[in-house]
Amino acid sequence: MNFKKMVAFILIPLLCFIMLGCSGKDTGRKGDKNQLVYASTKDIRNINPHLYGGEMAAQNMVFESLLRNTDQGIMPWLAEKWDISEDGKEYTFYLRKDVSFTDGEPFNAQAVKSNIDAIIGNRERHAWLELVNQIDHGEIVDEFTYKLVLKQPYYPTLEELGLTRPFRFISPKCFINGTTKEGVNGYAGTGPWILSEHKDNQYAIFTANTNYWGVKPKLNSIKWKVTPDHQTILLALQKGEVDLLFGADGDMIDLDSFKSIQTDGKYKTVLSNPVASRAILLNAHQPITSDRKVREAFQYVVNKQAIAEGILNGSEAIADTLLSSTIPYCNVPLTPHTYSPEKAKQLLDAAGWIMESDGYRHKDGKLCEVTIYFNSNNAQERTISEYIQSDMKAVGVSLKIVGEEKQAFLDRQKTGEFDLQYSLSWGTPYDPQSYLSSWRIPAHGDYQAQKGIDKKAWLDDTIGKLLVEHDKAKRQEMYNEVLTYIHAENVYIPLTYSRTKAVYVSNLKGVAFNPSQYEIPFEKMYFEN
Amino acid sequence: MRKYILQRSLAIVPLLLGISFFAFFLINIGPSDPAEVALRVNETVATKEAIASMRMELGLDKPFFARYGTWLTASLQGDFGKSYITKRPVFDEMSKAFPATLALAGISLLITICISFFVGVWCAVHEGSIGDKIVRGFIFIGTAMPSFWVGLLFMWLFAVKLNLFPTSGMDGFQSIILPAVTLSLTYICTYMRLIRNAMIQNQQENYVLYARVRGLKERTITKHIFKNSLQESLIALGMSIPKLIAGTVVVENIFAWPGLGRLCITAIFNRDFPIIQAYIVMMAVLFIVCNLLMDIICAFLNPRIRQGG
Repeated sequence: MNFKKMVAFILIPLLCFIMLGCSGKDTGRKGDKNQLVYASTKDIRNINPHLYGGEMAAQNMVFESLLRNTDQGIMPWLAEKWDISEDGKEYTFYLRKDVSFTDGEPFNAQAVKSNIDAIIGNRERHAWLELVNQIDHGEIVDEFTYKLVLKQPYYPTLEELGLTRPFRFISPKCFINGTTKEGVNGYAGTGPWILSEHKDNQYAIFTANTNYWGVKPKLNSIKWKVTPDHQTILLALQKGEVDLLFGADGDMIDLDSFKSIQTDGKYKTVLSNPVASRAILLNAHQPITSDRKVREAFQYVVNKQAIAEGILNGSEAIADTLLSSTIPYCNVPLTPHTYSPEKAKQLLDAAGWIMESDGYRHKDGKLCEVTIYFNSNNAQERTISEYIQSDMKAVGVSLKIVGEEKQAFLDRQKTGEFDLQYSLSWGTPYDPQSYLSSWRIPAHGDYQAQKGIDKKAWLDDTIGKLLVEHDKAKRQEMYNEVLTYIHAENVYIPLTYSRTKAVYVSNLKGVAFNPSQYEIPFEKMYFEN
Repeated sequence: MRKYILQRSLAIVPLLLGISFFAFFLINIGPSDPAEVALRVNETVATKEAIASMRMELGLDKPFFARYGTWLTASLQGDFGKSYITKRPVFDEMSKAFPATLALAGISLLITICISFFVGVWCAVHEGSIGDKIVRGFIFIGTAMPSFWVGLLFMWLFAVKLNLFPTSGMDGFQSIILPAVTLSLTYICTYMRLIRNAMIQNQQENYVLYARVRGLKERTITKHIFKNSLQESLIALGMSIPKLIAGTVVVENIFAWPGLGRLCITAIFNRDFPIIQAYIVMMAVLFIVCNLLMDIICAFLNPRIRQGG
């Protein structure tokens, strides 16, 4: 082979390859008004509604619950109405008669019983949700009436039945060996969408359920496109390959990008009402932070205003209390701690931490040094930590910042080996009941941080009791006691109330939020002609 | 030769055994409890009961060596266990992702060969010219630029601004070009330099001097130099095949390419131990086998090596 031939041999395939690549075809998808492309960093995975392996937003598209948590409260859904017995232990649900699963199976009391029995049959996996522990049994009253019997009058029963999981209904035909805990052989639900195609780690297509019993979706299909990198998602949006980004706490879009998109004006942006609480946990079980005065001083050290405006670009409201007063049972009169370095200094002096010539406080020859841990994947948390570090330095406290990989961060929560750590509540509709209930679980950072407070046993006991208190006024009183006590113990520095964010193309309409930050109401969305 | 191949092949066995042990051991001494992690990644609150049931499900209640023994025996039969996250067999997960990575690595290799050999030869022939200097500058910059950044720049320019390719995903032939070019960039720079330097070195050899004395055409001489320089470059290129396959992690994440790299990085973040272990063993096998093949080729070409071995 002569040299020319060899060069040709190498270059021709390369040129062909490039030519094939640049075929001149429009690689975007502008103009398709029947399919919405949603970009997510995560694949939908296994959307069995009775397990936790799948994306909640995808589970919510296909499977429905008896009731629905809305901004106006609990609303009927697959159950038209319900009765609650005098003692609060029996819930009778009257089911809709016009509903069937997408595989043709009828939705009736038998289907409800099979589903709830399957959930209870896997109780250990659902132990985080108190309702599962409180269910005694279920009964079929007639074809379209189902009765749920509880062991105790658990008050958040209706809220928890309306959560995204596990109380959603899948066709009993999809069960394997009469249950769902070992997996399912299909995803036939009653919801507005049908999962019609799923390529692992690439995309999932949901087509509109033409036989849907409720208001049918306006779009023909939703493409759930998996794109692990945030920057790639933004570029895909710019190119028109993606129509919608949706998510909470920086998991789809970081705040700086959100702000720049907002200012740019080319795409629409929308923020939900505050959904969850962002706070710093102060571990009352660690040497320095075990002193309540020190914890109180730290409340006055942090300049929340600067964090909300400087880092969070004003997108989140400052939190004066751990849970927003708009959350049920949380409108409790509490005195907020406003930023006051002078007050912090006085409290630290009173606690025996005296400022020395090195610019830091000392006590019995020990430096006043604490460490904050955060998830290193979250750029926002690092910046917030740095802000707090400079605030702390101003009052003579040395704050060490340690970013850890997510699993290591969660391990630290469990062991309680932290002075300060980030905390984010689960948001509505899990707050306050499920969030408070989780304080009693030792694997949680909340439990570990609260371990050092005087009345931890009382706190856990009261939370347990208030969940099964049938009398609303008494329950409110107990919430008042719990929230007032935890506020007075200064275990949390409330920072802001987080919001869910959506960025979308300008001709997309109907973008809204459900109370749960984990759900996306695709069925309301459509493209304007 | 046969004895040499046999000897080298047998030496692989203890090496692989050692690697498999370390893969299993290192992962198991990590601070995270896999049972808890498996619960957490599924967004389940890790209560005591849930952890106990998960430990049983994953076989973590057995002692370390018993678990290693079970895992090793099963692995030899191609059964690497089930993913903690998806509950599907690891083998299935890996064999689903492998073709995507192989395609990406294959096309990157093709691009690397086409560009680096051609430009490398051209630079050697035109050593010291402006073109050569520009290429050397390009090599310097290309090697220094991290692939995640190059990937995003390419995406911005070729996909968003020029609308020539899709930004990401595996959707037809068009979508492989940007990730393949990004992945091959570092290799192109390395091999361009390798070819160029090998050819320049060869130019100083006596056979080139004799060829010139004999009055051979410059083109014929270049051809001889190229052939002689090719040997070492080809061996280096052969060794870069497993590196290409193992090095797709960043590029696959940027371009949402559903290959092994992404599977592995997701497994690392989720502490999906069965997948991480299988990935380590698979990469080790790939590197060892490629190394062995290259050694055999070298021995075949150079009898002194196999006599020494």
